[in-house]
Amino acid sequence: MRFFSFHLMPYPDLPADYDGPAWVTVPNTLYDPAVGSKLYNRYLDELIYAEELGFDGVCINEHHQNAYGIMPSPNLMASILARQTSRVKIAVVGNALPLYDPPTRVAEEFAMIDNISNGRLIAGFVVGGGPEYYSFSINPAHARERFQEAHDIIMKAWTEDGPSEFIGRHYKLRFVNTWPKPVQQPHPEVWIPGAGSLETLEFVARNRYAYMGIPYFHIDVFERQFRLFREACESEGYTYDPKQAGWLTPIYVAETDEQARREYEDHWWYFAKRLLPGIEISPPGYTSLRSVENILKGRGSFAMNLETWDQVVEGQYAIVGSPETVYEQLERDIVRLGTGNLLGLFQLGSLPEDLTRRNLELFASEVMPKLAERFPEGQAIIDSASAVA
Amino acid sequence: MVTAELVQTHVGKVQVRRGGSGAPVVYLHSATGEGEGLALLDELAATYDAIAPMFPGYGESEGIEQIDDMEDAVFHLLDLFDQLGLVSPAVVGLSLGGWMAAELATRYPERVSSLVLVNPAGLYIKGAEIKDIFGRTPDVMALDLFADQNQPMAQMMHAMADLQPESVSFEMIKPYYQTMAATARLAWDPYLHDPKLRKRLHRVTAPTLVIRGAHDTLIPRAHAEAYVAEIPGARLVELEECAHLLSIEKPAELAAQVRDHVGVKA
Repeated sequence: MRFFSFHLMPYPDLPADYDGPAWVTVPNTLYDPAVGSKLYNRYLDELIYAEELGFDGVCINEHHQNAYGIMPSPNLMASILARQTSRVKIAVVGNALPLYDPPTRVAEEFAMIDNISNGRLIAGFVVGGGPEYYSFSINPAHARERFQEAHDIIMKAWTEDGPSEFIGRHYKLRFVNTWPKPVQQPHPEVWIPGAGSLETLEFVARNRYAYMGIPYFHIDVFERQFRLFREACESEGYTYDPKQAGWLTPIYVAETDEQARREYEDHWWYFAKRLLPGIEISPPGYTSLRSVENILKGRGSFAMNLETWDQVVEGQYAIVGSPETVYEQLERDIVRLGTGNLLGLFQLGSLPEDLTRRNLELFASEVMPKLAERFPEGQAIIDSASAVA
Repeated sequence: MVTAELVQTHVGKVQVRRGGSGAPVVYLHSATGEGEGLALLDELAATYDAIAPMFPGYGESEGIEQIDDMEDAVFHLLDLFDQLGLVSPAVVGLSLGGWMAAELATRYPERVSSLVLVNPAGLYIKGAEIKDIFGRTPDVMALDLFADQNQPMAQMMHAMADLQPESVSFEMIKPYYQTMAATARLAWDPYLHDPKLRKRLHRVTAPTLVIRGAHDTLIPRAHAEAYVAEIPGARLVELEECAHLLSIEKPAELAAQVRDHVGVKA
């Protein structure tokens, strides 16, 4: 098992009387640069602290024009982390490829980060969330095609000798010849986050990349997604490696179950009820019809629609409790999912700095070592009931 | 009687409804993809050879993945007209279909003998922008589309707001999703307009009638006025007690306007 600390870098200070979406149209008059300036530095410190505590890596991601995560450029954050850490993997999960024109920009910036960090980058590629297609006015009907072409350009830039030409339907580049090239050869490890789109699962399996389940759904939804992923790998003629599967989930550890819930619950609801609204918008044509059907199967269980703490616990939307409870729940869930990477969100919503740091400390000292022992790297441990028949 | 058939075109099979006899009148649907059971077609078929193709991506028509923009859309219409033996029919278009009809009539004026644009999209007018159709829920959209919220389709759109996510089945949303995806291909960016259309409208030679629903709050009045100002000899008629989807709200009145403008041979 590899352990990652994932940061969304949320905006914790939406005013109480604002009840609109946190995406696309959330007025930027609500953003206070004085708050933001402190936040960026605090959040970076929390990621750097994860290295000190023994995590294998840190994760960041890209979202635009929203309060859910104020990280329109994860590459800027990654370049800082490349200098301020020395050991951890830096997973950018990912760059929203269709938003880059030309996408050689991603090949260049990722290669720079990989050079500066001396080979510690994990390269994440995403289609971008539904809201991004509104925020960028990019045609969602072209999302999958642009993603595929951009991916091919980046791989060409990294693995083929330049200069060469790429002429596609959406991108036409006469000279692909990026400087620098990545330190990791032939290219950095590639992660692809997904929310159950079949095209994405098949794409990841075909290229032998790693699939990261996007959180905030009932645990049953993830179980199904990872089963479909393992099946997609089998269809490609190989058995998946647990390293190819990652589960992203909010985690909060305190001394006791009661204390954990008391300290955490308000921040969870700020996240679920204030920061999630608007994320679910799905622009027309963004997903193929067959994937709409697949995604729809999980949609009713989306975290935004939850009303009670019991539902949170029952669906394992967040793993919250004493070190013993958190270990037991994670152990049980990971056995169901068969994932070899655990991506924890240790800061969520409005969770303040002191609680975030103690959460990281308790997890690293009391939970992580036991999970590492239970799930040795390179070993697939899956409950037989959910394993591929 | 209006019947439906599938016609093979370069992009795939497209669904064409056709009925009646007389001079050919082609109806181009809006982003709603209306066609099935559309009373307007029966009205038109009473005096014309009424022809209503479903654009690729709408209804059962194939081939939207081969169409990127209005230029491709116009070439598809030319193919279809040739296939159906239509040399120079009258063309009636609603909203998105009105935009498409205007594109056809500016680029190939000889292929359109008479033009009726009903609440047409296609232009950008600063300060009078077309409201959003891609990010708003059906119940909110209905307020812009219908003058009478008791109209059955308006009622259906309002009912959708009360559905719980878990009770929405794939079959329920499939037609809606398909229609919106096709519309996104044509009209996401630039949003429901072609920046080059306005300066080309002087090329239209067909006698042109622009019809506006008095209560259309989706497309402001300035758009109808701009079409009338730019197309030589065009005139504007405003219909009362209706909003945007005139073919659904006022089929008889709309058909009467078409007969008045296109004329009927004795």
